Amino acid sequence: MKSILNMALRLSLICGIAALTLANVAELTRGPIAESEARAQREAVEAVLPTFVQLVVDTVQQGEDGTVEYFSGVDDTGITGTAFTSVSGLGYSGEIEIILGVNPEDRISGVRILRHAETPGLGANYADPEILNRFYTGRLLGDNWKVTKDGGQVDALTGATITGRAIADAIERGIRQYRLDKDRIKAEPAPIEVEGMAS
Amino acid sequence: MSYSEIFTRGIWKENPIFRLLLGLCPVLAVTTSVENGIGMGLASTFVLICSNLMVSLLRNFIPKKVRIPAYIVIIASFVTVVDLVMHAWFFELHKSLGLFIPLIVVNCIILGRAEAFASRNSWSLALVDGVGMGLGFTLGLAILGGVREIFGSGSLLGFSLFGPSYPPVLVMILPPGAFLTLGFLLAAMNRLEEKRAVRAGEAYEPPREMDCGSCVLCMLDENIGEGPAIEITNTSESLPG
Repeated sequence: MKSILNMALRLSLICGIAALTLANVAELTRGPIAESEARAQREAVEAVLPTFVQLVVDTVQQGEDGTVEYFSGVDDTGITGTAFTSVSGLGYSGEIEIILGVNPEDRISGVRILRHAETPGLGANYADPEILNRFYTGRLLGDNWKVTKDGGQVDALTGATITGRAIADAIERGIRQYRLDKDRIKAEPAPIEVEGMAS
Repeated sequence: MSYSEIFTRGIWKENPIFRLLLGLCPVLAVTTSVENGIGMGLASTFVLICSNLMVSLLRNFIPKKVRIPAYIVIIASFVTVVDLVMHAWFFELHKSLGLFIPLIVVNCIILGRAEAFASRNSWSLALVDGVGMGLGFTLGLAILGGVREIFGSGSLLGFSLFGPSYPPVLVMILPPGAFLTLGFLLAAMNRLEEKRAVRAGEAYEPPREMDCGSCVLCMLDENIGEGPAIEITNTSESLPG
């Protein structure tokens, strides 16, 4: 009995010290992690939008509990473009999450892939910004967002038709959502420029 | 055994990857490039050194019967620290190694060294053992990653080697490429070992089917076969009370 208590006490002590240490490390890294995440998001938004002076975030309510964030680039002429994320479940392995930008002329200003698990060397080649620019940048929102194999207007990489289909699907879904929400995106610049927001 | 022997055996004689074939899950999964290999290797090395030190320092405090849970808590804590620190300051690397960092907890090299070495030796020996084994692991990951990156992407450390006309051998960065590369590297290592033995005039003994070196992880409960000359604690006695 005594030895069981002894074991339990010592193990608890080890766990307690471990918990204390982890709590402190978590506290220490919380700020830098949030900063890194924010920087990564900011970089993705900048990559898909035309140049802007200030970034405005609109959070639009979707149904009961979902929200969609729209990142609008603004300069003195008004909105230069709006970026948002979209997901398709049609990827070759798992979901593909993208961020896309739309300019006021209703054209795609850029597409980047945020998350994917496609085959290296085939579907994963889509992560290359050059390829994404070649395939999608400049296209009209009203285009037929299907790959040419399926009778649409979008080319797909050789050997990666499924990934191409999934990205086109993600873009199409994103556009559909964007059109529904368009009137609710105010993109009002904050009166005082927030530090660190200027690009 | 001297310090230098303990240090070098992790790199060659008991290399975790090429000799003990331990911790192969991350080995096969993350070695699509040198950078990933080195990143994973260094993260594991850090955890290995810290857990070896901690287990060695606490070896008289941890009750024998609950030592495995205690080791796991210690290892998991250091892995979480690595995960958080990488997420905060090495964001890109964290993104590409993502899922595999938490899995360092179940990397059997780390628990294996804690049980087989750190729990029986002084902190300085445990430290040297951790550094040696960790570097051996990192080296193995880097070599595997290098071979796979050269053939599979035509580049090394991200720099293109053969120009854009090189058609990448896709299979090398897909999972089968990991097994192929590991197989060829093991064969090459045995060949080198044989040559060395012949040159030294020794009889060459090919690796045994189950060459576990000094790892006794799977012999915890029963003293099976001819194990290394390390005293194995009998854990199968019934609990009192």
